[in-house]
Amino acid sequence: MGEVLVWAVWFVAAGGCLASGVAVVSVTNPFHSALALIGNLASLAVLYLLLSAEFLAAAQVLVYAGSVMVMFLFVVAYLGSRADAPWAGGPPLLRTAAVVAATALLVEVVVVLGLAWGDNLRDAAEVADGFGSPASIGRLFLTDHLLAFEITSIVLLVAAVGGVVLGSTPEKREAD
Amino acid sequence: MLGPGVGWYVLVAAIMFGTGALGVMLRRSPLIVLLSIEIMLNGANLALIAFARQTGSLDGQVFALAVMAVAAAEVAIGLGLIVAMGRRGLALDVDRATALKG
Amino acid sequence: MVAGAWTCLLAPLAGALAITLAGNRISRRTAGWVSTLTTFLAFGGALVAFLSLWGRDPGDREAVSTAYTWLAAGDFQVGLEILVDPLATVVMLIVSGVGGLIVWYSMGYMAGDDEERRYFAYMSLFVFSMLLLVQAGNFLLLLAGWGLVGLASYLLIGFWHSRPEAIAAAKKAFVMNAVGDATFALALVLLVWETGALDYLGVFENVDTLSGTYVNLVALGLLGGAVAKSAQIPLHTWLPDAMEGPTPVSALIHAATMVTAGVYMLVRAHPVFEAAVDVQHLAAVLGVVTLLVAGLIALVQWDIKRVIAYSTMSQIGYMFMAAGIGAYGFAIFHLVTHAFFKALLFMAAGVVIHHLGGEQDIRRMGAGVRGALPRTHLAFLVGTVALVGLPPFAAFWSKDAAIASTLALGGSLGWTLYVGALAGVLLTGLYSFRLYFAVFHAQPATAAAPAKDHGHGEGPPSMLVPVGILAVLSTIGGLVSIPGVWHPFTNWVGESGEALVEPTTTQEYATSAIAVALGLVGLLLARRAFAGRRELVARPALRNVLEHKLYVDELYDALFYRPAVALSATLRREVEEPVVERSLDEIGSGAIQVGGEVARVQSGLLRTYAVTIAFAVCVLVVVFVAVR
Repeated sequence: MGEVLVWAVWFVAAGGCLASGVAVVSVTNPFHSALALIGNLASLAVLYLLLSAEFLAAAQVLVYAGSVMVMFLFVVAYLGSRADAPWAGGPPLLRTAAVVAATALLVEVVVVLGLAWGDNLRDAAEVADGFGSPASIGRLFLTDHLLAFEITSIVLLVAAVGGVVLGSTPEKREAD
Repeated sequence: MLGPGVGWYVLVAAIMFGTGALGVMLRRSPLIVLLSIEIMLNGANLALIAFARQTGSLDGQVFALAVMAVAAAEVAIGLGLIVAMGRRGLALDVDRATALKG
Repeated sequence: MVAGAWTCLLAPLAGALAITLAGNRISRRTAGWVSTLTTFLAFGGALVAFLSLWGRDPGDREAVSTAYTWLAAGDFQVGLEILVDPLATVVMLIVSGVGGLIVWYSMGYMAGDDEERRYFAYMSLFVFSMLLLVQAGNFLLLLAGWGLVGLASYLLIGFWHSRPEAIAAAKKAFVMNAVGDATFALALVLLVWETGALDYLGVFENVDTLSGTYVNLVALGLLGGAVAKSAQIPLHTWLPDAMEGPTPVSALIHAATMVTAGVYMLVRAHPVFEAAVDVQHLAAVLGVVTLLVAGLIALVQWDIKRVIAYSTMSQIGYMFMAAGIGAYGFAIFHLVTHAFFKALLFMAAGVVIHHLGGEQDIRRMGAGVRGALPRTHLAFLVGTVALVGLPPFAAFWSKDAAIASTLALGGSLGWTLYVGALAGVLLTGLYSFRLYFAVFHAQPATAAAPAKDHGHGEGPPSMLVPVGILAVLSTIGGLVSIPGVWHPFTNWVGESGEALVEPTTTQEYATSAIAVALGLVGLLLARRAFAGRRELVARPALRNVLEHKLYVDELYDALFYRPAVALSATLRREVEEPVVERSLDEIGSGAIQVGGEVARVQSGLLRTYAVTIAFAVCVLVVVFVAVR
């Protein structure tokens, strides 16, 4: 019973993920594109939950859907019609090349997966209940991965400063 | 583990990555390109978390969290760039940004 | 004593450096004094070395002093060492003494020249180089001195570098000397190869143990160097052209010292030559051939300096002859006396040239010169008589002793050399007195007028005193070796190299009688020709050949110069331009083209970059999977 439920949830979430991904990439209206991304993020959160990554699912919704998408929507609203994104031209060779590259990548990954399917991907490890909980992740951040933690915070600081610099008005900057 | 094996998740992640890559390579609006990059990053995250589950080590999740933070930072800068372009009246068209030519 | 020798070597170098470094800060006269005084200081050092060596017992008269190890490669070591022995001290005294007199004379001769300082720096450099050559304790330093004197010669011949003839002459001298240097160096390479040492003692001890062919090759190489440096046939054509240099240079380098370096080396390296007797005799034969040819050519020259130059070539032939048969003492004795009278002749000629404002054509000189320059006339006469070998002047003792040695040698070689040498004495008489009469007694149709600005008559004391000293030396300098009476000179030199042949007193006196007779015959024939206003060589065909110096210059031109020029022109046309220059151009334009093609990748389209990255990732995935 549980197995079937999980499979069903998985199908729905995976389907939603892929469909919204395609939608993000293909629709012309950027607003719809952003909304599709929100759907993608939500589906992903469900998938994370299935993978015992509770904290990450929550973080995904909070950070991504909550703040990043809001930023996107702000910018779309600010740009208005200028943000319109028709499927316009470009060298045809480029387009075929792009499709070929992406397909090749996908094929490769599938092949590798197929090769590894039998042995490495057979059994997932047994995990405790606390796997993926905020406490365990927090403990890791403060012990084994302290450096990554600190540097990530610096990256965020830099991004904030950069954002401010980029956003300052041209007139003000020329006056400097 | 209940439900599909880790391999299925990785497959989904791969398809998402490929979709995002197509979007980066085929769209001309920088906004859409940014969104496609987000798709790619999320695909990578999914793969990381799936493998974390597979090996039973939380390092993958920690890595995914760091990726998320970096993606957020990158989106902030990217959007700042797009806004700056818009403010200066430059066309929001990736094909018109050819200052690297030569 | 060693300190004296080092002073002798280094004083002129210090002088040259001082003049060079001081540059324009010192006056030209000061430069002249620096050069003169350092050369006389060198003479002082040589004198000290000589006297202290004299004070030692015979057999103990050898000292080697090493400054430091100059070159060390494995077992092979060459030190900066000087050798002080009787032979070296004699030549040191001559080089620094006569050199000092000539440098002093130059102060008057070159006064007023714009580049006097350069001149005196070069002269000091030359004196240092010659002393290095003489005092070297091993073959490598000898070669270093050898090359340096060639350099100094080049610099001084081409001193008036605005004259194309001077530059051409300097190049010719240098290139011909380079041929000799090359054979010399090859000989040294062979020596190192076989004996592993270059110092004199090491080589001389081992030379007997080496194979015949090998020693012959070494000796031939050394002889080649000597032939070039001393302007013997076949490498003689540079010496007459070298007269383009200032007259004191001709006196010092091309009469008294540098050209005698070959003779010095023949005597110094005599163990090598004694082991290769055929090569030694070859040197003697070359000497005699040269003395005859040079004497013949001197009969038709009309440039005063060129006559004296051919005379030098001829007299060095006598020295080669003596050294080639083993009469080392007499070879060096003739070197010494020749330095006296040849420098005297050049310097007197220099006074005449100076007086006539640069005129060197003897057809335009004459009795007026004698009237204006009585003391120079006397000095020139002394030099001429000394050259011809009339007693009691210097060359009578030295030249006749050398010729008598060939008689002592005997055999077909000895007799051939004897006859040739005596014929040379006749020629010497002929050309020397022809020159004397033409310069001081003729009544030419167009006489050269004295230079307008010669306010000093016969010249300042700086020119007259050295001439006077050399005249005195030319008169009495030969008295250090009187056959049958005393032989201090040859005994002294003999300690460095035992003579192989010793003429008996009878042989010497007999030879002298014949030689003096021949010299007087030459004088009389020249006088008769002069009185009859005839040239000595009248037949046009013969005269033509002699005037063209036996066409040797033309021969070398055709054999060596033209092919070399043609070859280099061909190489330039066929190799340098199409291949080298064009390929360099091609490399440049090729790089630009490739760059242009590569730059097309930078399309500026961000999406192309993204596609490229995607493809790269595909490739990398394959690589990672395969490598794993």
